[in-house]
Amino acid sequence: METPPVVSVEALSYFYPSGARAALLNVGLQVRAGEILGVLGANGSGKSTLCLAMNGIVPQLYGGRFFGSATVADLDTADQPIHAFARHVGIVLQDPGSQLIAASAENEVAFALENACVPRGEIRRRVAEALVAVDLAGLGNRHPHELSGGQQQRLALAVALAQQPALIVLDEPTAQLDPRAAREVIALIKRINRERGTAFVIASHASEEIADTAHRVVVLSRGRVCASGTPEAIFRDTALLARERVRPPGVTASFERLRSRGLFHGALPVRMDEALGALGALPPCRPFLPGDPAPAAGRPALALRGVSHAYPDGTRSLREVDLEIHSGDYVVLLGQNGSGKSTLLKHFLGLLRPAQGTVEVAGKPLSGQSMSAVARRIGYVGQNPDRQIFNATVEAEVAFGLGRLALSRTERQARTDAALASLGLSDLRGAHPLALSKGERARVVVAAVLAMEPEVLIFDEPTHGQDDAGARAILELTAALNRQGRTVIVATHQLHLMPGYARRAVVLAQGRVVASAPLREVYHDLALLGSTHLEPPQAAALAAAACRGSRAVTPEEFADGYAGGGP
Amino acid sequence: MMRPGAAAAPRPTAFSRLDFRAKLAAVLAASLAAVLWDDPGMGALLALATIGACLAAGIGARYLALVGRVMAPFLLLLVLTHGFFNVQLVLRLTGRAALTPLFTVPPSWPLAGSMVFSREGFLYGISVVCKSVTLLLLVPLCVLTTDPNNIVVGLVRMKVPYKFAFAFSSTLRFFPLLLEEIGLVIEAQRLRGFAVEEMGVAERVRTYAKVAIPVTLGAMFKAQQIEIVLQARGFSGSARRTYLHDSELGLSGRLVVAASVAAAALVVILRLEAHIGAFRAGLLP
Repeated sequence: METPPVVSVEALSYFYPSGARAALLNVGLQVRAGEILGVLGANGSGKSTLCLAMNGIVPQLYGGRFFGSATVADLDTADQPIHAFARHVGIVLQDPGSQLIAASAENEVAFALENACVPRGEIRRRVAEALVAVDLAGLGNRHPHELSGGQQQRLALAVALAQQPALIVLDEPTAQLDPRAAREVIALIKRINRERGTAFVIASHASEEIADTAHRVVVLSRGRVCASGTPEAIFRDTALLARERVRPPGVTASFERLRSRGLFHGALPVRMDEALGALGALPPCRPFLPGDPAPAAGRPALALRGVSHAYPDGTRSLREVDLEIHSGDYVVLLGQNGSGKSTLLKHFLGLLRPAQGTVEVAGKPLSGQSMSAVARRIGYVGQNPDRQIFNATVEAEVAFGLGRLALSRTERQARTDAALASLGLSDLRGAHPLALSKGERARVVVAAVLAMEPEVLIFDEPTHGQDDAGARAILELTAALNRQGRTVIVATHQLHLMPGYARRAVVLAQGRVVASAPLREVYHDLALLGSTHLEPPQAAALAAAACRGSRAVTPEEFADGYAGGGP
Repeated sequence: MMRPGAAAAPRPTAFSRLDFRAKLAAVLAASLAAVLWDDPGMGALLALATIGACLAAGIGARYLALVGRVMAPFLLLLVLTHGFFNVQLVLRLTGRAALTPLFTVPPSWPLAGSMVFSREGFLYGISVVCKSVTLLLLVPLCVLTTDPNNIVVGLVRMKVPYKFAFAFSSTLRFFPLLLEEIGLVIEAQRLRGFAVEEMGVAERVRTYAKVAIPVTLGAMFKAQQIEIVLQARGFSGSARRTYLHDSELGLSGRLVVAASVAAAALVVILRLEAHIGAFRAGLLP
């Protein structure tokens, strides 16, 4: 017998106050008690809006035009005050830090219960129970901002759990977490669902996580539900996924490549365990062994020599790091949160000084160079473009940094025009940057950095919050810049995106460089990745399991090991 | 990892364990003394005592140094303003016919040529600086040593409407986030070559002015996120709610309140009746 729905959405359409296009269009779906519903879709497909409609935040907080209905526990979300839904629907947002508002973990969990007039004794009991459930027992007195990203997201889950809702809605719950923290959160969701029967709605770009977690999946396309079914039904429909710009799980993509070459005829696996089981149905493989790319032969563009650093609270963030980044190289910087990636980048950028050792830029010690000199050599594109936009027009923004250089007006204009043209922004030069889409704003920041003509470009989590197509577009840009001779460094948690772009991977753990080697070598050093809590892309793990010694890292290369293709 | 606004991380001390209402009473008494005492010597002692109290309450020396660095230009401006320009008030306070010159600006200097910097004006400036330092540090002494939730509970117990108490504590929570955002934006500017230490004053002002756009945008985003979080957790602003922790004044709290009231009364009486703390009773001969 079907369980009753905890949320019913019927013919729901919604327009944001400033939106000409519907953010949601005629959406109808139900979430049943104990169900985990995955929500997939490209950026702008309506995933976050749907999440916020499930407890009345849309439309009540945002305004706009709202048609149809969303019903939670027989209460219409458009009619009842938002706080009336708190006991029925918990919500966990993408950014772990910005959703924590109290000064201690236990107060964080207690806040919603206090609002619901739960007696003090009961609050104490539920707080303790929720913290135990998310493995944060004993950390109740910690300030939330002293917790790691994964712990913060688990605390946000504890907040939702303590309210004992029938449904918890999670909007990109692992997008800002490193692989280990993401794994912890996903395991927790599955355990809570199993033990308590709590229903979950998870909106995400992480197809592997949805395939591994969800009982049912819906795909949104420009605000509409364009497909609904089991994870198997959805992820096996690779034409649908391609059309809707949804990345299939790595194992599904790998077997799809085999199927397209006539080497696999079964049902496409969507989870790693299924894929490993399906390997037996494949013909014998041979190791995919491409040669490593020629190491960049240029002089070191950046170097750390014996660099150590400790923060004022005593945390040792870098320990005797020796690292050279050669001119013209493309390097991906990997490591879990707190491994020292940001500290390392800040040393290159001159934002931190080493307690010990030296930092060299273009063969010269950084300590003697001014910030404007460093900015001319090294361009930095941060995760959040909005923090890097200071001017009222795109053109002024791109020209901003040039004001500090000894250039004639003609030279400044020429550089500005060239940077705008290279990023396809010439037609938007008069626009206010804040009137542009997030992707366009990111391009404005890149153009502004390029105008300085730096030799080295550092990108910090450049694909954060992007769907697969958006992420690929950004990485294509980094690759084009590298082909022009610029040295590129990308710090990311998304290992599956980097094959085809980065030549070398540098892995940090506890402030030390534990690997600096060709990308394939690092991706297939499973012991190293395991010890640093990183995970190889599914295609690489599958290739390693299928064929000892294989160095395949993409679905295409995995298939090449069977088809007689490859290098 | 450090939390936003690293100052808000005092270690637990006897002061930090006091009820918010007791801290508030002590701070109000000290503020009264700071306002009423014009004597630079007594003002300096009060300022030093406040700095000592901050250190003893677990507020880091780094935070105090930061406040000092940020405020130094304004405090210097205060001393210069009073030393050069505060003639009438100082004459009235001292009852003298003329002030004692400490130095005179050479007549050849543009604009400021021949201006006289008086000893009494300088001392009055020091007194104002001491008042400013005391009042400036009493706020973090009270607020940074108290859990925001305890501030809310304490204020509610003082019959402050819950909505106001919550808004006050939310502002306190939001302020470090705003400072963090400003720091990140300034860092982003530095990475585009705009390091303020390499600039003249005018260029610094122009550069700082440009911080406003991203900071405002970031603050609006954060405010919206917080509103979503509050609503999703059933916050309605209603005073009908329960609390995980109660606010207990306790014996120590009652003693502090009583001592603060007595000290405040003593300061007022001594100032009005015995003129203790008046400007002329200070370092002047």
